[in-house]
Amino acid sequence: MYKYDEIDRAVLDARTAEFREQVHARLSGALSEDEFKPLRLMNGVYLQLHAYMLRVAIPYGVLSSEQLRSLAYVARTYDRGYGHFTTRQNIQYNWPALVDIPDALDHLAGVQMHAIQTSGNTIRNTTTDPFAGAAADEIADPRPWCELIRQWSTTHPEFTWLPRKFKIAVTGSPEDRAAIGVHDIGLRLVRNEAGETGFEVHVGGGQGRTPIVAKIIRDFLPQRELLAYLTSILRVYNLAGRRDNMYKARIKILVDAMGPDAFRDAVEAEYEASRGRAMTVPVEEIERVSSHFAPPAEGGALTEIPTGTQFARWRAVNVKPHKVKNRAVVVIPLKAPGATPGDASAEQMDLIADLADRYALSEIRVSKEQNLVLPHADKASLGDLFRALDEAGLATPNFGRASDIVACPGLDYCNLANARSIPIAQAISTGLHEAGLDDATGDLTIKISGCINACGHHHVANIGLLGVDKAGEEVYQLTLGGVGDGQAAIGKILGPGLSADDAVTAVIACVRVYAEHAQVEESFIQTLNRLGTDPFKEAVYGA
Amino acid sequence: MALDALRRIESHSVELPGDAAPADAEAAIEGADRVVIRFPTFKDGRGFSLAALLRRSGFDGELRAAGPLLPDQVDDLLRMGFDAVDIERPDGPARNRNTGGAPYIYQPDPGAVTARPTALQIRALAARKATAEALAKELDGATPEAILIRAAQVYGGRMAMLSSFGAEAALGLALVAEIASDTPILFLDTGMHFPQTLSYRDRLVKHLGLTNLHILKPDEAELRNEDPDNRLYDRDGVACCDLRKVRPLGRALDPFDALITGRKRYHGGQRGDIPAVEFDGERVKINPFAFLSPQDVADRYKALDLPRHPLAEDGYASIGCWPCTAPADEPGSRDGRWAGQDRDECGIFDPARAERAKRAGAVRLI
Amino acid sequence: MKTITANRLTDGRVVYLTPDNRWTENADQAIRLEDDATDAALDTALLDVLTVVGPYPIEIDADREGFAPAGRKHVRETIRLTGPSAGSTKTGVAHV
Repeated sequence: MYKYDEIDRAVLDARTAEFREQVHARLSGALSEDEFKPLRLMNGVYLQLHAYMLRVAIPYGVLSSEQLRSLAYVARTYDRGYGHFTTRQNIQYNWPALVDIPDALDHLAGVQMHAIQTSGNTIRNTTTDPFAGAAADEIADPRPWCELIRQWSTTHPEFTWLPRKFKIAVTGSPEDRAAIGVHDIGLRLVRNEAGETGFEVHVGGGQGRTPIVAKIIRDFLPQRELLAYLTSILRVYNLAGRRDNMYKARIKILVDAMGPDAFRDAVEAEYEASRGRAMTVPVEEIERVSSHFAPPAEGGALTEIPTGTQFARWRAVNVKPHKVKNRAVVVIPLKAPGATPGDASAEQMDLIADLADRYALSEIRVSKEQNLVLPHADKASLGDLFRALDEAGLATPNFGRASDIVACPGLDYCNLANARSIPIAQAISTGLHEAGLDDATGDLTIKISGCINACGHHHVANIGLLGVDKAGEEVYQLTLGGVGDGQAAIGKILGPGLSADDAVTAVIACVRVYAEHAQVEESFIQTLNRLGTDPFKEAVYGA
Repeated sequence: MALDALRRIESHSVELPGDAAPADAEAAIEGADRVVIRFPTFKDGRGFSLAALLRRSGFDGELRAAGPLLPDQVDDLLRMGFDAVDIERPDGPARNRNTGGAPYIYQPDPGAVTARPTALQIRALAARKATAEALAKELDGATPEAILIRAAQVYGGRMAMLSSFGAEAALGLALVAEIASDTPILFLDTGMHFPQTLSYRDRLVKHLGLTNLHILKPDEAELRNEDPDNRLYDRDGVACCDLRKVRPLGRALDPFDALITGRKRYHGGQRGDIPAVEFDGERVKINPFAFLSPQDVADRYKALDLPRHPLAEDGYASIGCWPCTAPADEPGSRDGRWAGQDRDECGIFDPARAERAKRAGAVRLI
Repeated sequence: MKTITANRLTDGRVVYLTPDNRWTENADQAIRLEDDATDAALDTALLDVLTVVGPYPIEIDADREGFAPAGRKHVRETIRLTGPSAGSTKTGVAHV
């Protein structure tokens, strides 16, 4: 994985020192809260219901074991022994004191981590496939490009005061695991007829209040032109994006208002005017960054004949093929029955860091499904790895299954939320487990958001729940048919809003309909497309 | 005092709202030598992009940012092309700020007049320099074929050859045709060439089977402005080369990181000790013929049976534009170029970037 | 009936305005304001920029002796009062 050079270190140190001064200025009164707020936000510091929240960027979801241990240290030292992994491959701490945050950031800077631009109307952490560099179906590794985007977007002088936040996702595999269709910019690595690598550029996707699937504005962008082209898109957006209404300020609204063709023309015109040698990524820099992401060496052959149904089940569900011989991708769902989706204790983080050192080349990934991943596990050690994970309660075989539920923090923590998400997720997870439905089904996504900002990605869930506030009570809207990865689709509302208890029952009922009607190997979406919504409607709302 | 007052009267100042549309803004500042962009709030970033566009459109007067801005934004504003920032709160945040900004930058300064190298460029140039030096060592004394084959391995796809189609050009072109015939061949059509050079060029390209000739011409607007009577060479030879060679080449070189030259050590002057591969501060020069002697060159011409430049027969050893080329006594010599002027290079190969070349090694990469 | 709440500047913790214009984490000490006295109390609280962030009035149940959030935002304010109802770092009651 990428290691900072002295340039990266100097940039980060300057920024960390600057934020320490800004915190000091706020505490002394030199900065008002109105002035401080955007500054703290672009350094990842929110003020939530009970305390400040610190969101630390995990660049494109890639962590070393050393970095994961540092995240555990921060959880233990400055928080309550826990961290929450988010749907954007970041981690959040729910209880740090403002006065301690500069120290926590200094500690993180020591392992090349930061909280820069994890909030604010800035370019946020770029996300990608959690299996990048390991996936058997990969065309090209997206991580070098994510790192180049990270550097380009960090402290960008022109794009720090955008109309609204801005999210970029990159995928290197034909099977999209980065949900590029619902990002401000989605990039797909492709090859042209000449065999050159480049990007298919999608713009204007997003969730939130107005879910829209992104439009392709360029079929092939030569890879060295990536930053020039991104700059052109951002410049058009920065100048023309709406600033009068924050709900209409995302680029998706601009693309929609201009029309994809006019938007493309504006971007291409700006690109023609601004491209040139200074904006082109030098070949040597591509080579340097790529050299940090060399494929892993081959692992050892799996000698242990899997005995016991638990190991076999775990291997079938949580272990995925790797492009290198005798390596495997191992998913560690943070989704035991009744667990808080995405939460990990400092002890769990330390354990996973140790297991990564022992069995998986010291590398860990965070997925947007709020799970951790060991991307380069040694096949020879799968048995040992399973036993160690199982002992710690981290081997629940539910990756991509019904109980692998995604949920935002909701009204239990978040200042923006209208309703709670976590207790709903916990109740569904427990209910599925008790009904024996948690691993009885194929691919199915359940996602819960506590407000229309859709951090829980409910729009693109096969079964989605959106919490709303209806005259002071928490009410949940149920949607079916959303898809995030691949051909993105926005879920459709099934019927009237439900109380918390009814929402839990309804989701379990929908899973049951699927379990009862699914043909062999059929995913939830396939079953839904085959049956239509009627059986689900009937199960939820009665005849 | 009097002068200052006069300036104020003559200065034409325009104030733009921070949300001005770029096209309107460019029209509004026509003739202005001072532009103030007034930001509606410090959170409205449109003025940042606007500044870059105004600078790109050629505005080189004073650009000033005004409005309720934060001291924390000053560094970025300067990078976008502003010269000055008015902070509305003189009594406001007075803090110990790192006003020098970040020690390194990841993005090219979008609107700044003097561009600082980015982190990407600093690293790439250091790597490019190291590679060139290693290749120079590896290829010291090597044959033209060995040098070009190796260079094509390292720089293929971003390598071009500059050719004057002069007296000694055929040899280099033949080598490229043999090893990588689709290499872009850049020819500077100055408008001042001997007609014999142009016909020789076309004949040679066909004869050798070169497939990728790029003809570079001076910019027509620049030509009209700077040399309306086509006599600039008489008044200022250096300016003429700049207009007709240096600038057109600068634009055309954008995609290339390595250039194949026909230079030889025996040319003398600054070329007396050129290596096989050298870094010029930005690009790499491949000199496949560096180590050949005049006799080697003659032998190669003989062996390949290459067509000769018609003027070479008339005693022109080195052929450029007609106003600045005269016959020379020594074969292979450049004595006939700029005869009577105090220079021996046109500027294309001038090691003007030597300082940058040195600096490129200053960043240690870990 | 209303009171004024905010988050403490240094650590973000939930605090309430007291009758003697201090801030306390103990909701039982929170000032109880008639609706028409709220604006004046808020104006005073808003000046306290070095102690708290974002003071705002909330509705409380006038009929109950103890402190009980009421009105449209009662779920939110109860969670602020008692801590998260769920999540690994919950400190409050299991259910509101």
